[in-house]
Amino acid sequence: MAASEDSNQSKIRTAFGGVLAFFILVLIGVLAFSIRLFSVIKYESVIHEFDPYFNYRVTQFLTKNGIYDFWNWFDDRTWYPLGRVIGGTVYPGLTLTAGSIWWILNSLNIPLSVETVCVFTAPIFSANAAWATYLLTKEVKGTGAGLTAAALLAMVPSYISRSVAGSYDNEAVAIFALIFTFYLYIKTLNTGSLFYATLNAIAYFYMVCSWGGYTFIINLIPMHVLLCIVTGRYSSRLYIAYAPLVVLGTLLAALVPVVGFNAVMTSEHFASFLVFIIIHVVALVYYIKGILSPKMFKVAVTLVVSVGLVVCCAVVAVLIALVASSPTKGWSGRSLSLLDPTYASKYIPIIASVSEHQPPTWPSYFMDINVLAFLVPAGIVACFLPLSDASSFVVLYIVTSVYFSGVMVRLMLVLAPAACILSGIALSEAFDVLTRSIKFQLPGLAENSQIDAGDTTSSSVVTQDDAAKTNKNEDTLKERPSRKNRKKEKEHVEKTSIKSQIKKRLLVLPLEASVAAIFLLVLLGAFYVVHCVWAAAEAYSAPSIVLTSHSHDGLHVFDDFREAYAWLRHNTEVDDKVASWWDYGYQTTAMANRTVIVDNNTWNNTHIATVGTAMSSPEKAAWEIFNSLDVKYVLVVFGGLVGYPSDDINKFLWMVRIGGGVFPHIREPDYLRDGQYRVDSQATPTMLNCLMYKLSYFRFVETDGKAFDRVRRTEIGKKHFKLTHFEEVFTTHHWMVRIYKLKPPKNRIRVKTKKSKSKASSTTSSKRSGKRKKNPWQ
Amino acid sequence: MSRFVVFLTLIALLPTLSFSFTPESPTDRRILVLLDDVSLKSSHSLFFKSLQSRGFELEFKLADDPKISLQRYGQYLYDGLILFSPTIERFGGSVDLAAILDFVDSGHDLIMSADVSASDLIREIATECGVEFDEDPAAMVIDHTSFAVSDTEGDHTLIVSDDFIKSDVILGKEKIEAPVLFRGIGHSTNPANSLVLKALSASPAAYSANPKSKLSNPPSLTGSAISLVSVVQARNNARVLISGSLSMFSNRLFRSGVQKAGSSTKHEKSGNEQFLTELSRWVFHERGHLKAVNVSHQNVGEANEPSMYRIKDDLEYSVEIYEWSGTSWEPYVAEDVQVQFYMMSPYVLKTLSTNQKGLYYTAFKVPDVYGVFQFKVEYQRLGYTSLSLSKQIPVRPFRHNEYERFITAAFPYYGSSFSMMAGFFIFTIVYLYNK
Amino acid sequence: MARSTTKDAQALFHSLRSAYSATPTNLKIIDLYVIFAVLTAIIQVGYMAIVGSFPFNSFLSGVLSCVGTAVLAVCLRIQVNKENKEFKDLPPERAFADFVLCNLVLHLVIMNFLG
Repeated sequence: MAASEDSNQSKIRTAFGGVLAFFILVLIGVLAFSIRLFSVIKYESVIHEFDPYFNYRVTQFLTKNGIYDFWNWFDDRTWYPLGRVIGGTVYPGLTLTAGSIWWILNSLNIPLSVETVCVFTAPIFSANAAWATYLLTKEVKGTGAGLTAAALLAMVPSYISRSVAGSYDNEAVAIFALIFTFYLYIKTLNTGSLFYATLNAIAYFYMVCSWGGYTFIINLIPMHVLLCIVTGRYSSRLYIAYAPLVVLGTLLAALVPVVGFNAVMTSEHFASFLVFIIIHVVALVYYIKGILSPKMFKVAVTLVVSVGLVVCCAVVAVLIALVASSPTKGWSGRSLSLLDPTYASKYIPIIASVSEHQPPTWPSYFMDINVLAFLVPAGIVACFLPLSDASSFVVLYIVTSVYFSGVMVRLMLVLAPAACILSGIALSEAFDVLTRSIKFQLPGLAENSQIDAGDTTSSSVVTQDDAAKTNKNEDTLKERPSRKNRKKEKEHVEKTSIKSQIKKRLLVLPLEASVAAIFLLVLLGAFYVVHCVWAAAEAYSAPSIVLTSHSHDGLHVFDDFREAYAWLRHNTEVDDKVASWWDYGYQTTAMANRTVIVDNNTWNNTHIATVGTAMSSPEKAAWEIFNSLDVKYVLVVFGGLVGYPSDDINKFLWMVRIGGGVFPHIREPDYLRDGQYRVDSQATPTMLNCLMYKLSYFRFVETDGKAFDRVRRTEIGKKHFKLTHFEEVFTTHHWMVRIYKLKPPKNRIRVKTKKSKSKASSTTSSKRSGKRKKNPWQ
Repeated sequence: MSRFVVFLTLIALLPTLSFSFTPESPTDRRILVLLDDVSLKSSHSLFFKSLQSRGFELEFKLADDPKISLQRYGQYLYDGLILFSPTIERFGGSVDLAAILDFVDSGHDLIMSADVSASDLIREIATECGVEFDEDPAAMVIDHTSFAVSDTEGDHTLIVSDDFIKSDVILGKEKIEAPVLFRGIGHSTNPANSLVLKALSASPAAYSANPKSKLSNPPSLTGSAISLVSVVQARNNARVLISGSLSMFSNRLFRSGVQKAGSSTKHEKSGNEQFLTELSRWVFHERGHLKAVNVSHQNVGEANEPSMYRIKDDLEYSVEIYEWSGTSWEPYVAEDVQVQFYMMSPYVLKTLSTNQKGLYYTAFKVPDVYGVFQFKVEYQRLGYTSLSLSKQIPVRPFRHNEYERFITAAFPYYGSSFSMMAGFFIFTIVYLYNK
Repeated sequence: MARSTTKDAQALFHSLRSAYSATPTNLKIIDLYVIFAVLTAIIQVGYMAIVGSFPFNSFLSGVLSCVGTAVLAVCLRIQVNKENKEFKDLPPERAFADFVLCNLVLHLVIMNFLG
């Protein structure tokens, strides 16, 4: 009787736990969504940064023209005159996702603009990602860990930085796809069901559609399979989880135009094929072992090994011959960069020039994953007791992602979910142990809670919730009324009470130590929450096209970028070409709707180098380069007046490097004085005469009379000069964007004279420019 | 399909010239003549008459007339300008150096004549157009071998020259038999300057010096480097004639006979009239002015111009080119007009065939490269206005359903795939019924 | 030495055969099916080696459809094998339904990729 009541009670407890978990998950979703809205509240509902503008433009095209035109879209407004085949060079996952959301909403008669949908795609998908994390962690370590991990992921700053509202980038949906693919893999591994294997392949397809980071999946899963085989954990479930994924996944990946045959041709995917073969061999061996007697198996092994050795030797000999005959010894730059991940950043300046490709600094770890960094080791330990296939996968995931994030800041994003999962496990295990030991030592309290729990059998969910709350208040665990923390607590209390009934034997810690530890953990959690909210509100919400600065006389808003793009949109011909450094290419096409020479999709190094060369050349040579590209306008970003540090002068050395990489007459040392990059009077003549310097500092002396550059904190070297081949047509309010027009070739060719002739011409030219010049201070 | 804009630019052709050169009313053209002295009007009347007989309205003003102005309310009042005022230091009214240069830069034509002791102002105008007069204000072109034989023994400053520019377009088809008489200052041009042409050069024995003084230094300008008359065609096709002698336009030299020293042939009449009349025809765009119209391109066999081509399309390109004959547009006939299909470098370069009636056409296959291409016609011939057409057109790759389907070599693969599907059905049935 | 090896091989072959004859018929059907698929795949690879890899997508889809079919069949075989203890609670009907679903997806993709 007691036993049946007990089981009945536990059943109801489980049901109740399920409902509670569901509500908690909903709340986590809401949290994940709403913490990312700071950017909309503090600024406005706009698309952020650079790449999202391109995605937004593509989405607009998709919603306007449909999927087939999108697939075949040849864009003649970028990369002039080469053009770009958008359909074949873009990861379509994000665009298709937002496009279908927009389409569904519109067919439901909810008329949202495409922009709104794009802005809110990332927060929606971060909620999805939190739920996927829950599922994944639940597969690994149970519901409690799952909920904790989901809550952590919902506000991990690293992920927030890429998924605030308006940050409409591939990563926003890709992280969800990544976690979900891992979840389905683990699920398949745990159940051995072909159904999940199919879903897994489809989730992988979605990931391939979304982000180039899919190669991480297709390398991590084979590594895990290999690890399982080597450690003797092979099972037929492993086979079912892996083999169909490789076949279906490869086929599906090859369907994505941007991947295409790369799915079978490039070295990133070879690992999976190799492991595919290995797992077949292993499966065969296990099968034969199963149907043969041990003695015969031994015979078979010796036979196969002896034959296999001969075959292997032959194959290796052939391979060596092949490799030796090829001139590069089989090592391409790509495989080199695979072995030495810093290869690309060291030898390919265009990759190195992007700040998010730099290796991260230690503070950025703390900034991006905060206290999780300390909880991860504990989580790893927790994963080892007991080690299952799933937990070994998580451990492998964290180890590899730590390695990759050490190479590139950008890959910190991949690390974040792993860190959340492991920290979730660690926290949940810690709470588990601690509360259990408290309960064990306070029988009264345990009874109390049991009575409370007993009430739930007859009372409604609400009273149950109250009971749990009172229970917690008695525990005096609540230091901070954070909703999320409370939820976590609740969950643990629930779980503990269940578990305490099942098994009473446990590792007992002293009561005081337990309470103190719980207190500390909660404090840690609280600290994490505070940090995350701060990061979401302050650090990662700026849309970077609108800048703000606080000074003693209040808040300043710099909206120069949009001002400049609007000027271009309204004052230039539709087919005019605008040259700028590639950072601003996407924005120019999306916001100004003008043709650009290079943009953020850096697929053609030579073309970018051409623009870099033009920027680093003297005026006349630059004019010739730009004219040969039919450029009408040149746009430079200049922060010297307001102190905006990421302007073109600060990026200029990269232009020199990239330009010099293709056109050897541009040499970096010419721009450096004793290895130092400077623009003051010590700067080299090459520097002072290059186009970028001239376009940035033209008439700068007129602002304050001294030409003091606030970014470089120096007075510039050459203050008074004229432009002969360019004319200034527009400068924004804060001088952050300056637009120049190429002068047409001279109508007449003057005789060059040594005499006073230049006087006459200079008066005419000043008269002409006086007419067109616009004083930005007006 | 999104809106792919095709645009057409006629660089520096009709738009800029429409002020000065209106095909609609080409005979009604106003020219301002600025004179040093009213007497020039009668002493050079032959030249002016020839202009008036061709339909030009001449308005004579003294150069220092305070009321002269080239434009009113932003509109130019004149289509051409003749400066016969070599000594003027400062024009009256609102006209100055910059105004004259703007006049030229907006596509109007200019005839100017310097002379011995030309003013700084005139020199500066010439300099801006790429012509430099001898710095010594008193210098004249002296030639002791090819001077005009005259009754009085002179200082050989009235020279004869028959070293004309070899261009039928500029000087007309009729050969100028008699040499041209010239008395005035010489100038030099920069050979690197492609816009300036020497219409009349001095003989190799000529030099530029002050005839009154002894020659102390070697003269700065010597031989055939001395240009006597130059023409300039600016990039916007405005044309300028610069002469070093005002007297060569005069009735006296138009009428006088000429005999070159050391030559027995005596011409009844100098070549001045023919030379200068033909040159003025050229300067005022009565010859050598081309226009291109009706640029069209389409897929072979289609009528409409597409917004975009696909790689490996076959296309046709045609353009009509006409030349202004002074009264009407005549078909221009040449064998050397070429079109480029251009993206950073020409991918296709074809010489256009012509039907002798002004239509030029060709057909070619789009290269197997996608990108934003241009049809470019760059036609620059001596004496003709430069013709520079470019028309942008994107070339796209194949669409996903335009690739070859059902390749024979791939039939085994198709077969195997379908056999797998069939095998799947058979297997399903066998497996299910086996139980 | 050589003789003992041959003898061993013979014995091995013999015992393999006897062990295999004990497998139930439905598994044998699956085995047959797998062998059919693998053979087709090998033939195609041979064909590709002769003709060249021009319609590479067709080749890929051809070979991968065979490989995929084989792999899925092997999975099915693992799941319905009564001797396999891991899948006690998975009914063969469910396994077969999963298998059919998987195959449908596979062949849809193949159809897509073939052209």
